[in-house]
Amino acid sequence: MLEIKNIHKRFGNTEVLKGVDLNVEKGDVVVILGPSGSGKTTLLRSINFLERADQGSMVFGDKKYSFQKASKKEILEVRKKTAFVFQNYNLFQNKTALENVTEGLVIGRNIPKKKAYEKAVEILTKVGLSDRYDFYPSQLSGGQQQRVGIARAIAVEPEVILFDEPTSALDPELIGEVLQVMKQLAKEGTTMIVVTHEITFAQEVASKVIFMDEGRIIECGTADQVIKHPKEERTKQFLRRITNDMEYAI
Amino acid sequence: MNFNLDFMVATFWVSLTGLGVTLKLTFIPLLLATPIAFAFAIIRLKKNQGFYQIITFYISLLRGTPIVLQILLFYSLLPSVLNALFESLQIELDIFSLNPIIYAYIIFTLNSVATLSEVFRSALLAVQNGQLEAAKTIGLTSFQAYVRIVIPQALVSALPNISNTTVNLLKGTSLAFLMTVKEITALAKLEAAYGYNYIEAYITIFVIYVLLATVIQLLFGFLEKRFGRYKYPRNREKENLYA
Repeated sequence: MLEIKNIHKRFGNTEVLKGVDLNVEKGDVVVILGPSGSGKTTLLRSINFLERADQGSMVFGDKKYSFQKASKKEILEVRKKTAFVFQNYNLFQNKTALENVTEGLVIGRNIPKKKAYEKAVEILTKVGLSDRYDFYPSQLSGGQQQRVGIARAIAVEPEVILFDEPTSALDPELIGEVLQVMKQLAKEGTTMIVVTHEITFAQEVASKVIFMDEGRIIECGTADQVIKHPKEERTKQFLRRITNDMEYAI
Repeated sequence: MNFNLDFMVATFWVSLTGLGVTLKLTFIPLLLATPIAFAFAIIRLKKNQGFYQIITFYISLLRGTPIVLQILLFYSLLPSVLNALFESLQIELDIFSLNPIIYAYIIFTLNSVATLSEVFRSALLAVQNGQLEAAKTIGLTSFQAYVRIVIPQALVSALPNISNTTVNLLKGTSLAFLMTVKEITALAKLEAAYGYNYIEAYITIFVIYVLLATVIQLLFGFLEKRFGRYKYPRNREKENLYA
């Protein structure tokens, strides 16, 4: 469904992506792991043209897009087929929880207000925020904000949702409620690409795990292959380090 | 030294007849300047156009000179320049019979453009880039994202500075007397000239300006509360607790 070929991106003198290929099938939950600076986030942002990659192309559905040359119209097309969940939520500060969800429906997709409202209510209820419709982001906890962020993303019925470290800015106590919603989505067959450090989440729901380092994909396979039985020394090293951290946390 | 209170009361009412002119001199330039200042701010932020240098130069020129000087210079310069321009274009218009308030509008607008464009620029910068990005990811065009998400937030954070600009301009309009425009200060001076009651006249308009500035600040304070309510946590939890 989504096939990325040979994507390159540099910021100044630093090459952040050095030719990455990625294949996502419908219903896949792809988890991307890797140390910071490995290019995971840049990869995700390039898919949605939040960054303009320097080279490479992707086939999305039955259409091909050049990362470098895609027109404004093509970019809007891709953005309407995808949704993005940010590390710092990026909820519209001047809109209530409900308006955050309806915005993409009413303005982005010309859905009548009443219908959009009903849909937003349904989705906010689904993520457990039925009593927070008219709250502004500044009045919500981090976990609640991120659940609105996810609601905003699923409301537009994207073909794939991109998650950029959705739990890294949250208090440990609040991570669970967000992961719970994501697991539910995975169960329902939502196609997702998730950049995260939540190893347990990866093991439970990922259909494919990718380990990236220094702008390249080092290892790719099922959760069992990559996390339980990594082949590459770099992967082992990374996993050792983050699982050790978890022990410290306990 | 004795104050002539009756004179002060009389001057108060006479000066107040200039209130309309003072308010026009404040708000018409502000309204004219707003769209231009906004365009300037966007151009300065985008940085990639040839206009950037010119606008930056213009802003530093107007912000770097006293408004009194701008008035004196433009008021001496503009009529002759415009006259020469109209003559060369063979347009029949007697520049020298124009109401001087027109020049006041022009000068205060030019000045407000410079101030407001900096206000708007900093306000737009204050909106986190993530807001624009998030709007784009849900399928909004850049234009829609600016109109619906970025600009409403920028305006709220600009309100205190717009309030400042407005009050400064209100006070600045008192210099319009230099162009023989009959606003509050000019009228008070005229009134005082008959019997040399300058101190009383000045104290009277002192009060008028303080009152006007206070009203403007209260108004902007209200707008800030009204449009910035999303910034403040609600007390619903507390209400529930004490209910």
